[in-house]
Amino acid sequence: MSELSVSMSAAGGLPQAPVLPEAPAKVTVRNLNFYYGEHHALKNINLALGTNRVTAFIGPSGCGKSTLLRIFNRMYDLYPGQRATGQLMLDQTNILDPRLDLNLLRARVGMVFQKPTPFPMTIYENIAFGIRLYEKISKSEMDDRVEKALRGGALWNEVKDKLNASGLSLSGGQQQRLCIARTVAVRPEVILFDEPCSALDPISTAKVEELIQELSENYTIAIVTHNMQQAARVSDKTAFMYLGELIEFDDTSKIFTSPTDRRTQDYITGRFG
Amino acid sequence: MAVESNVVDAAGPYDRAKALGAFKLGDVTFYWITRLSAISVLLILGGIILSLIIGAFPAMKEFGFSFLWTQRWAPSADPPVLGALGPIYGTLVTSFIAMLIAIPVGLGIAIFLTELCPQWLRRPIGMAIELLAGIPSIIYGMWGFFVLGPFLANSFQPFMIKVFDSVPVLGSIFAGPPSYLSLFNAALILAIMVLPFITSISVDVFKTVPPVLKEAAYGVGCTTWEVVRSVVIPYTRVGVIGGVMLALGRALGETMAVTFIIGNSFRISGSIFAPGTTISAAIASEFAESDGLHQSGLILLGLLLFVLTFFVLAGARLMLMRLEKKAGN
Repeated sequence: MSELSVSMSAAGGLPQAPVLPEAPAKVTVRNLNFYYGEHHALKNINLALGTNRVTAFIGPSGCGKSTLLRIFNRMYDLYPGQRATGQLMLDQTNILDPRLDLNLLRARVGMVFQKPTPFPMTIYENIAFGIRLYEKISKSEMDDRVEKALRGGALWNEVKDKLNASGLSLSGGQQQRLCIARTVAVRPEVILFDEPCSALDPISTAKVEELIQELSENYTIAIVTHNMQQAARVSDKTAFMYLGELIEFDDTSKIFTSPTDRRTQDYITGRFG
Repeated sequence: MAVESNVVDAAGPYDRAKALGAFKLGDVTFYWITRLSAISVLLILGGIILSLIIGAFPAMKEFGFSFLWTQRWAPSADPPVLGALGPIYGTLVTSFIAMLIAIPVGLGIAIFLTELCPQWLRRPIGMAIELLAGIPSIIYGMWGFFVLGPFLANSFQPFMIKVFDSVPVLGSIFAGPPSYLSLFNAALILAIMVLPFITSISVDVFKTVPPVLKEAAYGVGCTTWEVVRSVVIPYTRVGVIGGVMLALGRALGETMAVTFIIGNSFRISGSIFAPGTTISAAIASEFAESDGLHQSGLILLGLLLFVLTFFVLAGARLMLMRLEKKAGN
């Protein structure tokens, strides 16, 4: 129900990101279909994520937006019986290529989850861990990288005196920013956010949203959210999905002010959801 | 109307008090049943320790602390000489080797079952592990005596003896001659026996790792091995060590299978291919024909095993606390 009330106000005149010029596509999705066993979860999706732009995915629960996100880094590969068909390009790389090195793909396409997922190690190690997977660097270089990543995650000032404390000792909002810092530390090209604020309080949410805006200067970002205000605030483009189909994909300002499809309009005005 | 409501008012509190009284009696009974159950554990433990001490007292008085470092075990000599060094050494060495083998194999099986195994193979392997735990120890003993012992003595032992023949330290650990009955054979049987403990507990705790945490680790680009080493095992550390401790406790005290294949020799040999004995094996093989001081000495051995197990478990607890501190909790 809270979602509804949120969406009501989303339709009103909220502060929205300025419309940026069209960006070249970083990720291109063509005729993408996805199956959970027999269940046809995504139907013929076509869209493109602009380079250094934020693309938001909205839609009612079960519409397939998280599923779509999990295809971008092939996370679905961990589970048997799930498969994707169609074409999904990251620059010139075919993400769906079965011979693709998944570890390298995931270094290029980072992901932040719904719930904070700090690893069971110190704050420092949480960051250094990911870097060490790809690079052999000295201790002092590593210190620099960790600091930079934590600054990138807007967390440095809060944790600089307790880098050796467990990552689990942080608050929920801090943990989520630690996870963002960890993702940034690996220097990905694309960052996927799967409802990154749904487990956070309003203040932490504001910090994470601000962070997403900052990150969009250097990274291509896809964010799944149930919060339409959030989509309106942080994204340049918004995709509305319903029952596994992409209903409408356009500039965020256009989607939230004058959507062309009836269903989009119904959803953002809170008539269903 | 007024009369009626008065009646209801009068009956209400009375009934309620009665009902509450019944609940209260139930509550008190429940409280005492649980409390007595908890206390009975302490009583039984205390009783066992006390009767061990009383039974062992004559031997303690006779031999004092030299019992701990005397190797000779001659109950029928005059005067009898009893020393526990051989059984203590055998107990520690067999348990150590058993854990050395069982921990990596057990964890390996658990990791395979939870992270890598195709769905259709999971149940058969899981069931086999459980069946392994269900085999009575006497059967392990017979199998060790008739099958494993001869096999090892004819193949593995000669091979190791030959390979390490001229290596300084290892040469004396793997020294000949090959034997059907040896510390190593007993340790190997122990390893097989404790394997199900380590595996099934590890599998259970590995399953408690939230899938999203593993996804996050895969998400930064970890391979399965890196996920297991850096996320799954640290996350489940306490549970895994608990399983290992349970296994170690069993290995230290296991009697029947070990008695069959260890050779029951009180002499200490540097070679793990030589016969030896453990505390529980010594008690099991001699208790029936013992009396007087000899029996008291065996009871003292039992007390020692009790203390030894206690210290091993306490040490493990301490190690765990250190690990936690290092991890920053």
